[in-house]
Amino acid sequence: METRYSRQMLFPGIGKEGQEKLGQKTVTIVGAGALGTVLVNHMVRAGVGKVRLIDRDFVEPSNLQRQMLYDENDAKNHLPKVMAAYEKLKVINSEVILEPMIEDITPLNAESLLTDCDLILDGTDNFQIRFLINDVAVKHGIPWVYGGAVSSRGMFTAIRPHETPCLRCLFPEPPENRGETCDTAGVIGPIIHIVASYQAVEGLKILLGQEANYNPYLEHFEIWRNQHFQMNISDKKRKDCPACGHGKYEFLNLTGEEDTITSLCGRNSVQITPNKERELDLTELATRFSPLGQVEQNRFLLRFHMGEYTLVIFKNGRVMVQGTDDPVLARSLYAKYIGA
Amino acid sequence: MITVLLFSYLAEEAGRDQIQLQEGELSIGELKEKLEMEYNLSPMDQVMAAINQEYVTNEEKIKRGDIIALIPPVSGG
Repeated sequence: METRYSRQMLFPGIGKEGQEKLGQKTVTIVGAGALGTVLVNHMVRAGVGKVRLIDRDFVEPSNLQRQMLYDENDAKNHLPKVMAAYEKLKVINSEVILEPMIEDITPLNAESLLTDCDLILDGTDNFQIRFLINDVAVKHGIPWVYGGAVSSRGMFTAIRPHETPCLRCLFPEPPENRGETCDTAGVIGPIIHIVASYQAVEGLKILLGQEANYNPYLEHFEIWRNQHFQMNISDKKRKDCPACGHGKYEFLNLTGEEDTITSLCGRNSVQITPNKERELDLTELATRFSPLGQVEQNRFLLRFHMGEYTLVIFKNGRVMVQGTDDPVLARSLYAKYIGA
Repeated sequence: MITVLLFSYLAEEAGRDQIQLQEGELSIGELKEKLEMEYNLSPMDQVMAAINQEYVTNEEKIKRGDIIALIPPVSGG
């Protein structure tokens, strides 16, 4: 019978039984950027029952070269990535339950956002957040698949807590990225699809419990120089690992009373995430700001341009200050315009 | 003799992606320090290492005939 999933069910690794199993699974995808859009595309088309997509950002023109679900209108309208993705995904496969969430993941909300799922797929762009994902995944026994890409190279590995090494077994501390991010070193589209597609296939195997075919390697690709390297990590679990060895979740416990202020590397922006979630009235703010500068508003966020700075204000109180990488200046603009 | 494969910016900094060394007994950590000095490479303490395609830590000892890969972790996405 010609159904939506007929080709996938003909594939012996999945079959009719596997297809039904996928339909009962929930996958959380962290990040809806380059890797994240490829990951969510695969999960939704493959017919995973429920897909949660979490991202803090909105679509910009420089995303369109590689972030496969977005178009020029999304960038023009400054749509939050998860909402732009949601509009595409719901007509790609209306059977899948989609949960788009405009959120910045912090130690405070990580456990509520990342649990209640069978698998976490990493579409993030920095190691700080990956160590937080690792803590939640190990603590709650949720498998996750790390992936990273920059320039023409990328790597991935699947982490099944207490079976494989976890991220902290491999890297005791978050690696410094030597300033090498997609915003500074650049990146080409094909490496994104390669890495994310490998992550997706490991994800499918894990969802289906196909142990015999699990990939035991951390793999590295350099597609411009034609290098592919597999590193066996299968017996590298460390007894003295803080996370999976001792149950100490140091990244999850990094909760302070202070708001979280992050300088967004290579983007000349600072992000301020309030310690307590707020409920801002964007329309009221727009009225207040309009005599002071140019204001653009959509259903999800407000952009307020004044001189060399732009404040991007989300309803829950999170603000991105564009035009500076100075946290102190960003904090003072926040206090001045949004208030404490 | 040991063979060292360099990846990513390490290859760019060294101007080559493969180095042969005559040394016998040394650890991965010592190898990293030696290469940093000789080829003026960025600090490598967080660079991943493999001996004969097995992940290893900085303490691991290298034997004659080993092939070592040095791969910087990839962050972006």
